[in-house]
Amino acid sequence: MKSLNILFVEWKHFIRSPFKVIALILYIIASVYGLNNGKNLYEKQTAELAKINEKAKEQILQNKAFYKEENPSPDDRPWVDLSIPDWAIWYTIVYHLKAPSSALVYSIGQTEQYGFYKKVTYMSSPYDSDMTKEIANVERLGNNTLDFSFALIFLMPLILIILLYNLQSMEKEQGFIKLIEVQAGGKSKWLLLRCCFYVILCLAVTIGLILYGSILTNVITKNLSAFIDVILYSFLYLLLWSILYFILLRSGNTIIENALKMAGIWLLATFIIPASVNQWISIEKPANLMTDFIDASRDKKYEIYNQSDSIKMAGLFNLYPEITNSPIINNPEKVNYAIRETTIALVNKLSKEFIKHIETDNNLKNNMIEKSFFFNPISFFQNRFNSICETHYYNYQTYRNEIQTLIDKQIHTLVIDTWNDIKIDKERFDKYHEKFSI
Amino acid sequence: MWIIIKNELYSLYRNNALLAISIGFILALLLSILLGMVQAQNHTKSYEQAKNKLRKQWENIEGMNAHGAAHYGTYVFKPYDLLNSLDEGVNSVTGNVLKLEGHVQNEIVYSEASQMQFISKFGKLKSSLLLQYVLPLILIFLAFHSISSEKQSGRLKLLLLQEAKSLTIIWAKTLSVWLYGLALLTFTVSIYSLINLENISLDIGSRLLFFYLSYALFYFIISGLTVFFSAQYKNATVALTSMLGIWIVWTIFLPNIVMSSVEKWHDLPSRNEFQADMKEDRSKGLDGHNPLDERAKDLEAKTLEKYGVNDIADLPINFDGIRMQADEEYGNQVWDKHFGNLNNILAKQKQSYQLAGIFNPFISLKNASMGFAASDNYHHQNFLKQAENYRRRLIKALNDEHAYGGSKTGDWSWEPESDFYKSIPDYTYKPMSFSYSAPNYLIDISLLFIWSVLTSLFMFFGARKMEII
Repeated sequence: MKSLNILFVEWKHFIRSPFKVIALILYIIASVYGLNNGKNLYEKQTAELAKINEKAKEQILQNKAFYKEENPSPDDRPWVDLSIPDWAIWYTIVYHLKAPSSALVYSIGQTEQYGFYKKVTYMSSPYDSDMTKEIANVERLGNNTLDFSFALIFLMPLILIILLYNLQSMEKEQGFIKLIEVQAGGKSKWLLLRCCFYVILCLAVTIGLILYGSILTNVITKNLSAFIDVILYSFLYLLLWSILYFILLRSGNTIIENALKMAGIWLLATFIIPASVNQWISIEKPANLMTDFIDASRDKKYEIYNQSDSIKMAGLFNLYPEITNSPIINNPEKVNYAIRETTIALVNKLSKEFIKHIETDNNLKNNMIEKSFFFNPISFFQNRFNSICETHYYNYQTYRNEIQTLIDKQIHTLVIDTWNDIKIDKERFDKYHEKFSI
Repeated sequence: MWIIIKNELYSLYRNNALLAISIGFILALLLSILLGMVQAQNHTKSYEQAKNKLRKQWENIEGMNAHGAAHYGTYVFKPYDLLNSLDEGVNSVTGNVLKLEGHVQNEIVYSEASQMQFISKFGKLKSSLLLQYVLPLILIFLAFHSISSEKQSGRLKLLLLQEAKSLTIIWAKTLSVWLYGLALLTFTVSIYSLINLENISLDIGSRLLFFYLSYALFYFIISGLTVFFSAQYKNATVALTSMLGIWIVWTIFLPNIVMSSVEKWHDLPSRNEFQADMKEDRSKGLDGHNPLDERAKDLEAKTLEKYGVNDIADLPINFDGIRMQADEEYGNQVWDKHFGNLNNILAKQKQSYQLAGIFNPFISLKNASMGFAASDNYHHQNFLKQAENYRRRLIKALNDEHAYGGSKTGDWSWEPESDFYKSIPDYTYKPMSFSYSAPNYLIDISLLFIWSVLTSLFMFFGARKMEII
């Protein structure tokens, strides 16, 4: 029996098995649904960010208009003096946005766990409560969104079980395996070719789905490398399961035995192992209740504000040596004012130290997860897809770091301009907006 | 029938593969219960530590006026319910820390899932994971050839010749598989109860009973349908593949698709939109920190009239506290309106999702399991509601102290006695009682019951149409 003939016979066998065809159609429907879920989220986030940008532009124009007056100040808040750096920086409108990647269509990942826009002021922190997730049904979040990566990672191995479970074992049960061995010139090659048929079928369907996804958000033009990576990792994932199932099929004797073993492996890999790792990490490193961060944002902050001016000034000089020669240094009134308005820099320094502890703690958990990858392929592949689609924890960590950078920039400007007694005019206010961006 | 059941159970006992699977499953169940307990202990320990630390900080407030203390605020942490070790529900995706302060109602933040990269789509190794996903599969593998193997071996003919009725055989086969599932379920609930014996109250006992009932009904549906397919098809493989297909659609496809669709049918506002609307409504009210505010001036006039004085300085009380409280009360109304709308949408989503149990009993099981384990969104919302009520009492106590504690308007340096802060009771979460929460899950239990009746009808008609050979 020639190889092509085996593949052809398998095709006939496939189209005559309604259960297998229905299973594949269900996989396609679920994937298409998942891709559309990804697309909807991408469009929703993009539209939300566009609205925020629009609102920010309006607010910036409105605030710039205050500088037409001699004493710039909002009409309803006469005590606000926009000519001093403190108020001027407070009135800059700085939003930092995490624009979704067009590859989000493939994996929603951890996107819905975090906020994706934030108004940044010098009082902000990357761990503010507005950095929390969008308003969503927590039961849906807990239940998981059906996206393409879910269909691929969890459903595709199941579909493979349905497509492969009776290969060879059916012939063995019906007693004509010897005949096939003679005709095909070896049952291993025959089984391999039959498996290859289904692997090629699944791969073709998956690539078709990935192409369909690329049309939804224009991935190929916007993010070609992500598109290629998604195809590559999908192929590797399919290959992993195919090899695993092929080994089981080769040694299996009955249909029931094969089905039981394959379903067992699937349950173990997709449910038991990731859930056990999750449970283990949760015991080793329970959820951080952020008491240290609360301390930093409350008691320790008050402690800093309650320090004597000389201690605060020494701290500021240490952080920003360039203000040591400030032109206001001999004016006690101005120095007092500057110390009061720029103490936030000391608070920010403290906050960053505590954030470092939080991030270190989180990274320890991440290291534990990464160490489990060699026996936990599901988590590995899901994280790879999340990373490719920029919906991974690390992508949001980068986003938080960028926010911190913006806070630092605002505080640096606040300190330098306050200690240099700078008067803010429209031109400088414009420059602030340029400066406070990444 | 009992003879057939006894015989079936005996043959299950003699099946080495099943024995191995059962031992493995029991070990996994034991592990899940024990790890759940360790996790509960760890969480409770860190919860208590955090709670005590924050309380101590609150009681030791110094150098702060009452309104300053309202800004200083306090934090509440989401406690771990004893039953959460059976089914964690939404706990890993909801936040754990909520700041309660004046003027603003914050969101609960720092969920466990946001503190690390992805690990598991199906949560932690909890008993619910094994009972919902793994045990039904074992039951399917036990039942799919129960009748067809009898057909193939010719024993079915023999049984019928011995005057056993086909319906009796189907029932006996179903019950024997169901009893196996019940045994493992009973084992789980019993071990859990034994470990927590001293903490089990009537409330927790009732929850456990309904938790047990939900799973028992679901296992009956799975066992009955699989035996039905086994009786319908000559080929055991077709019965297995049909039931596996149903399992996949019920447990993997539909819950996700329905949940995502439900969120589209009853759309939630975006956070930005929601906050903008709240801000808009808030701006129509009194601004507690702005003495120039028109509404604040009206309130001032009323207060002056009430005390029969012409100048704010002549008031025997501190008007700032009154203004702050008026601001707070207006803010509470805004919160009630907007969060009320939000909760209505969430309730509609939940209701639609529950109704999907008409097509998928697994959805009813999942809802009931989370609900009876006190880990679903209803219980989460109840925690948030209690926290908000506490916030209102706390801020009112602080504003009242500022207004009537002995200071005069404009005196921001006045500080209450240190005992005052200690006198404000700490936040204590009162778990939602079973009798209060149970009606929410009536629909899930009813649908599981209806599905059980339907399964019995399938078995009844299946027995009549069953081919003997």
